[in-house]
Amino acid sequence: MTNRIVLALVILYLLLPLGATLVFGISNGNGIGFSSYQEIFSDHDFSATLLLSFELALASTVLAVVLITPTAYWVQLRLPQARPMMDFLALVPFAVPAIVMGFGLIEVYSGNNTLLSILSLGLVPLLSNPPFNVVNTPQLLVCAYVIVSLPFVYRPIDNSLRAINTKVLTEAAYSLGSGWWRTFLTVVLPNIWPGVISAALLTFSTAMGEFTLAELFGIYTFPIYLNVTGQNNAHKAASLTILSFLLTFLCVLGIIFLLRRRPGGAKQDERLDIVAIK
Amino acid sequence: MQLRAVKHTTTPEVKTVTAKRPRSIQWSYMFTSWLGFAPFLLFCLLFEILPAVMVIQASFVDSNSGVFTLNNYQRILAQTDKLHAFQNSIALGIITALLSGIIGFLAAYGVFNLRTSWLRNVIIGFSSIAANFAGIPLAFAFISTLGVTGFITVLLLTWFHIDLYNSLNFSLYSFWGLVLVYIYFELPLMILITLPALSTLRPEWREAATNLGASNFTYWRRVGLPLLFPSLVAATMLLFANSFGAFATAFALAQGGINLVPIQIQFVVNGNVNLDPGLGNALAGGMIVVLLIAVLLYSAMLRRVSKWQGR
Repeated sequence: MTNRIVLALVILYLLLPLGATLVFGISNGNGIGFSSYQEIFSDHDFSATLLLSFELALASTVLAVVLITPTAYWVQLRLPQARPMMDFLALVPFAVPAIVMGFGLIEVYSGNNTLLSILSLGLVPLLSNPPFNVVNTPQLLVCAYVIVSLPFVYRPIDNSLRAINTKVLTEAAYSLGSGWWRTFLTVVLPNIWPGVISAALLTFSTAMGEFTLAELFGIYTFPIYLNVTGQNNAHKAASLTILSFLLTFLCVLGIIFLLRRRPGGAKQDERLDIVAIK
Repeated sequence: MQLRAVKHTTTPEVKTVTAKRPRSIQWSYMFTSWLGFAPFLLFCLLFEILPAVMVIQASFVDSNSGVFTLNNYQRILAQTDKLHAFQNSIALGIITALLSGIIGFLAAYGVFNLRTSWLRNVIIGFSSIAANFAGIPLAFAFISTLGVTGFITVLLLTWFHIDLYNSLNFSLYSFWGLVLVYIYFELPLMILITLPALSTLRPEWREAATNLGASNFTYWRRVGLPLLFPSLVAATMLLFANSFGAFATAFALAQGGINLVPIQIQFVVNGNVNLDPGLGNALAGGMIVVLLIAVLLYSAMLRRVSKWQGR
């Protein structure tokens, strides 16, 4: 019985701020009205930052999926001994939070460190000097977003790959004369679409809402705009909050829907695939 | 366990296939195998491993002369505000992890016991949304609710004459306010992590315990909780890491007014005069050390989970 009461209270606690924010956004001191939404939609910064965040999120999503999906398949098929390394790389973002990673990225790409030049096979000096000069650019931000989303992109894709019989499917395709890329694109990928798309949606919604790295790099994205707005106009910020909640809502709804369609359905231990642990 | 079995059947196969081939082909097979892995590895090296290595290495180096030193860490211990930042961050992590761990576990058990499956699915769905709803929007949701002019604050004042801020000394923009906000995304996260663990408790075990005369309390103390212990510790570590490293929510809530390690690091990046890069690196290095302990405990516990629950 206690657990029912606790559950009811928890749900109340989760719903309350949303309801209060909705009301707070449409009430402006002397009455109820949608003036804050009108203000938002006529604000040039709103559309500009939203567009920039959308572009960054899209780029991170595409890069994450293109980089990680073939690698996960490759490791499953050809390099099972690299699996611990993969697991390790997917665990590092837990121990190195975004604030530390951003700080480290700025230091790596803005200084001249001989040790790093050697360790990176000369790539760091190449990227940190003209013509690339990646420090504090949107390009570096996209790369950082891919790393931040690594844990929750790799897991659902890896789980999907395990749910189908990757090896048998591949061998069947090979024996029918299909090459590696063709097997991957036309046989394996269609079978793991739900997992890939749900990982993509999670990356997208995280990148849309990411604040820490954008703030460190000084790039004016949508969450930064929301933070600035909140310092001057609390009602407008409340309405913006509702809008970004709707965005999260849509992304997560899509993931839940897709994971059900995955071969074998959403298994008990795969519920974590739905959460972007920061 | 299943995972291990799969591994054992796949790896020897590969080996027998390659063993029949001449040595040079075997080498080229291994070489192409690793070559396919290289782009990803290189990407992780550049944007994941090197920043972490850089921070750790630079924390042991004097930022002016470039020689090895422990001075950066000694200064953290000597400066009270830096030391407080660590104390606050660790306390915040522990308090939010324990509170959401306990309450979230009870709530998860409530979800687990629900008979109506549509309600279960709705709650799980809503939890996933709430767990993903963090950062700046979450901070403003709470400011709109419990801030100085927030909806609930005003409601309590006008209807019940309860003044949260002036007579009850509550402030959302303080440590305990932050605890309230962090619990918002940690609770649903705990529910989502605990549910799969709860479903591994077989009803037969409970029946056996009851047959042997165990009460509800004895069952949980002797059977249920010991079995769930590794999962619960792993979950708590995850919650700890989540709030210990969080920056955005705390920053949006008090704009740097709450003394936490991530806030101090942001001061360094923004060029605050009292802070030099060496100190920033030591702060970041300290964060990595604390989080490493949490992550190690987390993965050690996960290994025990798979042993006990026969995954």
